[in-house]
Amino acid sequence: MRARMLESGGFWRALFSVLAGLLLAALLMKASGYDVGAALSALWSGATGIAPGPSRGPNQIPIGIGAWKAHLDKFVLAQSLARATPLIWAGLSVALALRGGLFNIGAQGQLIVGALAAAVVGMLGKGSEAGGDVTGGWPPWLHVPLTLLTGAAAGAVWGAIPGWLKARRGVHEVLSTILLNYIAADIASYLVTHGLKDPNSHSMAPQTGLMAASAWLTPAVPGSNLTVGLLLAVTAAALVAFLLQRTALGYEIRAVGLGQAAAEATGIPAVRTLVVTMGLAGALAGLAGAVEVMGVHHRYVPGVAATYGFDGIAVALLGGLTGSGTVASGLFFGLLASGASGMQRSTDVPDAITVIVQAVVILVIGVRYLRKRALPPLVAAVLDTDERREEDADRI
Amino acid sequence: MSDLAELTSPIDNAIVRLENITKRFPGVVANRGVHLRVMAGTFHALIGENGAGKSTLLNILYGRYRPDAGRIFVRDEEITEALESPADAIRRGIGLVSQHYALIPALSVLENIVLGAEPTFPGGALRLGPAAERIAALSEQLGLGDLDLKARADTLSVAAGQKVEILKALYRGAQILLLDEPTATLAPQEAESLFALLHRLVAGGTTVVFVTHKLREVMAHSDRVSVLRAGRNVGDFNTRETNERDLLRRMIGTRGHVPLDIDRTLTGELVVAAPQAPTGPTDSPTPTPVFVPRPPSGSPLLQVEGVTVRNARRAIAVRNASLEVGMGEIVGVAGVDGSGQRELAEAIVGLRRLEAGRVFLAGIELTRMSVRQRQEFGVAYIPEDRQRDGLVLDFSVAENYLLGHETKKSWGGGWLLDPQRMLARAVQMVERYDVRIGFTGVETPAGMLSGGNQQKIIIARALASSLRLLVASQPTRGLDVAASQFVYETLRQARARGLGVLLFSLDLDEIFQLADRIAVMFNGKVVGVVPRAQATPEQIGALMTGATWQQTGEKGKGNQGEMPPGAGPGALP
Repeated sequence: MRARMLESGGFWRALFSVLAGLLLAALLMKASGYDVGAALSALWSGATGIAPGPSRGPNQIPIGIGAWKAHLDKFVLAQSLARATPLIWAGLSVALALRGGLFNIGAQGQLIVGALAAAVVGMLGKGSEAGGDVTGGWPPWLHVPLTLLTGAAAGAVWGAIPGWLKARRGVHEVLSTILLNYIAADIASYLVTHGLKDPNSHSMAPQTGLMAASAWLTPAVPGSNLTVGLLLAVTAAALVAFLLQRTALGYEIRAVGLGQAAAEATGIPAVRTLVVTMGLAGALAGLAGAVEVMGVHHRYVPGVAATYGFDGIAVALLGGLTGSGTVASGLFFGLLASGASGMQRSTDVPDAITVIVQAVVILVIGVRYLRKRALPPLVAAVLDTDERREEDADRI
Repeated sequence: MSDLAELTSPIDNAIVRLENITKRFPGVVANRGVHLRVMAGTFHALIGENGAGKSTLLNILYGRYRPDAGRIFVRDEEITEALESPADAIRRGIGLVSQHYALIPALSVLENIVLGAEPTFPGGALRLGPAAERIAALSEQLGLGDLDLKARADTLSVAAGQKVEILKALYRGAQILLLDEPTATLAPQEAESLFALLHRLVAGGTTVVFVTHKLREVMAHSDRVSVLRAGRNVGDFNTRETNERDLLRRMIGTRGHVPLDIDRTLTGELVVAAPQAPTGPTDSPTPTPVFVPRPPSGSPLLQVEGVTVRNARRAIAVRNASLEVGMGEIVGVAGVDGSGQRELAEAIVGLRRLEAGRVFLAGIELTRMSVRQRQEFGVAYIPEDRQRDGLVLDFSVAENYLLGHETKKSWGGGWLLDPQRMLARAVQMVERYDVRIGFTGVETPAGMLSGGNQQKIIIARALASSLRLLVASQPTRGLDVAASQFVYETLRQARARGLGVLLFSLDLDEIFQLADRIAVMFNGKVVGVVPRAQATPEQIGALMTGATWQQTGEKGKGNQGEMPPGAGPGALP
């Protein structure tokens, strides 16, 4: 009874998983002989940009709005939020697919494809440069949406392929999306060392040429990576929530996700729905890639995708597969990752804490979904005994 | 109830004694202070409607559920605390054959039987030899000698699978055998063979506790019977000293909402007493004709021509099947489980691709149409597996009611959903059909409802569209008497409205009660179509198990142009 679990225990389970993860990380730090207090303090200020106030001693967190403002490093906070942006996109991708009954392990590949396609379109329309002035270039109001759309479209195609394979050929999407991740990464690394390699690059660096400035997203805080991309992600989250709850298509996606046989028997075109679900999920992941190249790197470089696609799984699970939940958990993981980097810089504690927290989240929350939705039936049956009993009980 | 005092006395010869068992589930009390005594070496029937708490009681005795209150004694030893899991129950000689059978499809019969107590060599390798000998001897002794221990479980019929489960329980040392509605999916002959086996077991000293809601089985086979209603034990009887009428009264109680004509139900005549038709025109004062075959008026509504269909495992499940259904006619399709009925039904509604053949509705070819397109032409489907194919269990009642109609404005569907209208429609439906949904209303997940109420939603949803053909697959499977009556009434009203009804059922009684004509499937073929008035259950039963029409002893009677070409008398291999 997943729906009920989300309504009733979802939030507390999420909170529990996060606290358990942080506690485990703290215990490991302690066991390794680090100063846990200092590490957590560094984690906090690295994540939020709120520095410990000098008048209150090194480990204290300031209280009160005035105190916050005085000690807020906007740049650090902006970087943390920027870090959250691709996580929210990727989390939405995984969440939407899972609501449709599909376990999208392929957000990573869809993200790479989206980033690459966006970079290619971004390199167009540069116009001609004469004496420092650019003439004949594309205007940003055209170039930015076009680049975003291209990234979304490329991701959608990459996502729709496993959707189609699943619907028509019965290929499990976990398998096909993992394989497509490799294909995407390898195609990308081939292209950036051959056809799309930056001709101006003097180094051996495999990367595409620089995108036109008209396709860049401008930073919200000067020098930071935070752009309008975050706002777009939050908007997308609202749209995903609206789609799922208030439209016929979203209803069909949920129906197929929770009961494909019943959906088919009542006339919902399951094949079409599966392909559309994965296409939309791919588009969201593709947008993650597009926003990254447009806002941060301004060209495609290998590694632009980091592990965002996979991180999206933990984000989606922690967020309870809802739009707002995904935004919240994306922000949490973004801040956590950013804070951990800061912690590693200032206290030497490895930033593996993020991985630990993610792992605990997946274990605590994920197992409940995975055993029913995404695992092979036999494995699911083995893991499922407890829940099946619960459901038996419901019907007496 | 009179022997309550007797029940609480500590000394008697009961092998199983339940005292004051109470079990609550969220929102429901499944058992309320149930007392039950089962004598050693008896055949004890446990009857009651769905939701009466029969299965829960069995599951408590089997260690699957822990009671919230009450005590459990086996052989006068209290095991309330010790009974923590089925393993504890098995150790005490209790075995359960559950409603949905629990064999692992990919394992052999032998492997399934030893599963849970696998004999091994030191070091852990499986040692099946001696076990195989023991099991072969055991099955020989029980008259199951023709059971192939090497066969894969998924090749077995339901009836054979059940026997394997019984064998498994006995192999594990069960002296108390619990069976949860074992005859629900069996053909009459198979059920008889199961009862013969159970009687041999009882004669050998095994205690059998048997859950059912078929009164005839209780009267024919049990020694003792206990009636559960709304979680309570409302009476224990020696079967010889009671009768069906009395048992039915106790089962149903005095609930007013379903008028039941008990006498007619018992004699197999059917109830036409439901006062208000829940759907369709209700102004006609003439009762629905019962048992009068209505000849199809004009050209048939549904024509199925030479249809061949594969099942999920890509094997041919339906071979060259032909059928016709007229307007205002119920055609019953009989056959033992796995004869291809499910696949044929799915092919007609558009869920299964045809390998060959064609399907027409009122002259329009449906063969290549999708499920939705067929719905738009007036085909509705009541699927066999209502929890899998009929409902999304995690969806609310309202969401389930919208299923398949989500693109229609009048349903609150369309590109943008209209939740207000959707909820209003669902509330209306719930009131009209008297769906019991509890205090959370139409937001209640469908998975929380009883089978009868789930079926009501499916039926309401099917009937609410403009309809010409209703394909109903096992529409009363697992339903209690009242809910089954509702389904029967619905099908009759559909017929009265001039719809064609194609009723697939494993229950011959049901087919004889409803159908104007009966088609029989055997081994994927339609082996005969006869007017109900010219058939007897024995003949149909014989056809279902592969006899030819001549062998049924009624030479020529059914051979009146009703047989499809090639499937008539003598056409069987």
